[in-house]
Amino acid sequence: MSKLNTVIRFTFLNKIKTKSFLITTLVLVLLVSIGMNIPYFIDKFSGGEQGPASVGVMEASQPEIVASLEAYLQKQGEFGFTLQKFAGENEEALRAELKAGNIDGYLKFNQDGQSAFPTVSYISNKDSVPQTLNSSLQAALQSVKAEVITKGALSEEQLAALTAPVFIDPVKLDASGANASANEAETEAGPAPINYIVVYALVILFFMIIMMTGNMIAAEVTAEKSSRIMEILITSVSPLTQMFGKIIGMLYIGLLQIFIFAGVIGINMSLPHNQSVLGSLNLNLADINLTVLVLGLIYFVLGYLLYATLFAAIGSLVSRTEELGQAIMPITMLSLAAFYIGIFSLSAPNSLLIKISNFIPFFSPVSMIVRAGLGDTPVWEIAASLVILAVSILFFGWLAAKIYRTGVLLYGKRPTMKELRKAMRAYKI
Amino acid sequence: MVAKRLELEQVVKEFGEKRAVDQITLQVEEGEIYGLLGANGAGKTTTMRMVLGLIYPDSGRILYNGKPYGPELQSQMGYLPEERGLYPKVKVSEQIIYLARLRGMSAAEADKSLKYWLERFEVPEYYDKKIEELSKGNQQKMGFVAAVVHKPQIVIMDEAFSGLDPVNVELLKATVKELRDQGTSILFSTHRMEHVEELCRNITILDRSRTVLQGDLREIKKKYPREEVLLYTTGEVEGLDRIPGVKKVSRQERGYDISISDVAAAKLILKTAMEQGEVERFEIKEPTLNQIFIKEVGESNE
Repeated sequence: MSKLNTVIRFTFLNKIKTKSFLITTLVLVLLVSIGMNIPYFIDKFSGGEQGPASVGVMEASQPEIVASLEAYLQKQGEFGFTLQKFAGENEEALRAELKAGNIDGYLKFNQDGQSAFPTVSYISNKDSVPQTLNSSLQAALQSVKAEVITKGALSEEQLAALTAPVFIDPVKLDASGANASANEAETEAGPAPINYIVVYALVILFFMIIMMTGNMIAAEVTAEKSSRIMEILITSVSPLTQMFGKIIGMLYIGLLQIFIFAGVIGINMSLPHNQSVLGSLNLNLADINLTVLVLGLIYFVLGYLLYATLFAAIGSLVSRTEELGQAIMPITMLSLAAFYIGIFSLSAPNSLLIKISNFIPFFSPVSMIVRAGLGDTPVWEIAASLVILAVSILFFGWLAAKIYRTGVLLYGKRPTMKELRKAMRAYKI
Repeated sequence: MVAKRLELEQVVKEFGEKRAVDQITLQVEEGEIYGLLGANGAGKTTTMRMVLGLIYPDSGRILYNGKPYGPELQSQMGYLPEERGLYPKVKVSEQIIYLARLRGMSAAEADKSLKYWLERFEVPEYYDKKIEELSKGNQQKMGFVAAVVHKPQIVIMDEAFSGLDPVNVELLKATVKELRDQGTSILFSTHRMEHVEELCRNITILDRSRTVLQGDLREIKKKYPREEVLLYTTGEVEGLDRIPGVKKVSRQERGYDISISDVAAAKLILKTAMEQGEVERFEIKEPTLNQIFIKEVGESNE
C-alpha cells in the first residue's frame, strides 16, 4: 500500500510540475473565461455603445410602406433602429449620407411588380447586417408587410395575433399517463434550460480530460519503457501496483483540472455583469440538477478508470513514443464514439440509442450523464449500468495489468496478438 | 551446507525457436563479484533479467539464499541496466529517492544514502540537477547510485563500465570493491576482460547461449599453457631460435618476445640468455583472459 502511495505521489507531483501541464491548464482556463464572457462582450461592443442604428429610406419609392413602417416604429417606442426619411428617388443623396456617416445604412425596396410586397436590400458599409438590427428590421417589416397585404381588412389585434409565432409547450405525460391534462402541475415540465448547458459542459469536460490524461498515461508508460527505467521499476514494485499508482495519480490530476474548471466557471457565472446575461437567456443557477453533477462525477471516475487501464496497456505495448499515436487510435475512436453519442443525443435524451449505450461500459459514462440530466432514468437502470461498468473495470483492469506486465518487456516491433497471448500466459501478475 | 547468496541451476530460456540461455549453472557467494562474459548476443542480459525476476526461466531454477524468487527480494536487489534507466526530466534527488522508496527505504534514509553516494563520487552538486543536464558518463554514475542506494544484497550490473573515462572507471571499480568488502554479491557482465581480471574471482564465459568456460579465474588460467616468454637483456642474445620448443622469436626495443610450445623451453631460454649477458627481466607470461576468450569463443565460432 505504501508503495502504491509512493507511485501515486511521484506521478502526481511530477506531472503537476511540468510546464506543459501548467500551460495547458492556464490556456484552457483562459479560453473558458473568455468563452463565458463573450455574450457580455458582444453586447458591450455592438449594440450597447452606439445606441439604435440610424437607417435611411427613400420616401418616394414606396410611400405606403414607409408610412406604415414609421407608424410601427412610433407604436413600439424604443426600438432597434431609427428611421430617416429622404425625399426624392435619387439614391445618390443616401449614398452621400452613408459616406458622411450620418446614417448606418439605408433600405432599398426592389419592386418587381409581381409579388405583393417588394424585396428589401439593406445597403451599408459592412458585409452583413448586425444581428440585432437584422431582427428588428425583420420584425418591423414583417408587421408592415401584413398590413400592406391585408390593406386594413384586419383589425390591429387580428394582425398582432397573426404575426405572433406559434408556441409549442413540451408537456410530458407522467408515469401513470392517466390525468396528464387534468392535473398539469404533476406533469414534468422538461429539464430547465441550464441543464442542457450543464450536460453539454460535462460531456465535453469528460471527453477532454479522459483524452488528455489517457494520452499522458500512455506516453509516460512508453517513455519509461524506452528509457529502460521500466526494468528497474518492475524489479522494485509489482506491475499492478505500478500501473494503478500511475492511473490513480493521473486521476488526481484530472480531478484537479475539473475542480479548477468548475471554480473558473463558477467565478465567471457569479460575476455581476454575467448574471444579467444569464437571466436574459432564461438560465437560472438554482435549476441545476444536483444529481447530474454527483452522478457525473461518479461516472467520470469510473469511466476514467476504464479508459485509463486501456491507455496504460496500449502504452506498454509500444517501444517508441513516435509509434504511440497510431497505437492508441482504437481507443481514441471509441471515446470519440462515446462523445458523439452524447452530443447528438442532447435533443433526444430518451432515444433507444442512449438507452442501449447506458449498458455499454465504454459509452455509459457519457450517455448516462445525458440521460440522467435531460431525460428520465429509472434507478434500477442507473444501478445496472454502474454494476456493468464496475465489472468491466475489473475485467479490463486485470487484462490491462496482464498486457502491461508482458508488454513492458517486449521491445522491437509491436507484438502480434498471437505473440502477446503466448507471452501473457507466462506471467503471473 | 550454507545456502549461496545466488544460485542458478540448469537455467534455460527460449524465445520462440531460439534458445537464448542454455543450461547455465552458477553460484555467487556473499561478498563476491562474479563475472559473466560473452560476446554480444551471448545471453548475458537474458540471464540477468531472469535473475532479476523480470522474465522466468523455461526450466531450471534460480535460488536466492536458498529460496526461490519472492516479492521480498525487491528490496534486496539492485539493477544497473545497460541502457541507463532514469527519467531524463526529473531531478536526481527526486527520482533516486523515489526508486529507493519503492525498494522499501524510508524517505529520510534514502536521502541520507543518496547524499553519501554523491559525496563518494565527489558530485554533491548533482542533487538538484536533472538527468538530462548531466553528461553520459555522469548519468551512468547516477544509474549506479540508483542501483545501490537502498543497500541491496545482490547487485546486478550490465556493462557497468562502458562509456566511462579511465578516471571514472577507476572510481567505479573502487566503489564496486568497497561494496564487495561490505558483503554485497555482485553479478557483473562485460566484454572488457581487463576489468574482470581485476575484480572477479569466478567467471562464466558464454558463447551463443552456451557456457564455454566456467570457474575460478586462476584455475582457468593455469589450465592454459603458458606460451609467452618475455626477456629483457642488456645485449644481444644469440641462438634463441635454435632452442627446442621455441616457435618464434621477435626482437623488441628492450629485449625479446618468445613464443614457446613447451614450458621446459623457458628454462633453456633463461640459461642461454644468462650465459651471454645480463638479464634485466624474465617472465613466463600467463595468458590474458582476453586471449583465453578469443581462443574459446573464436574457436567455437569457426
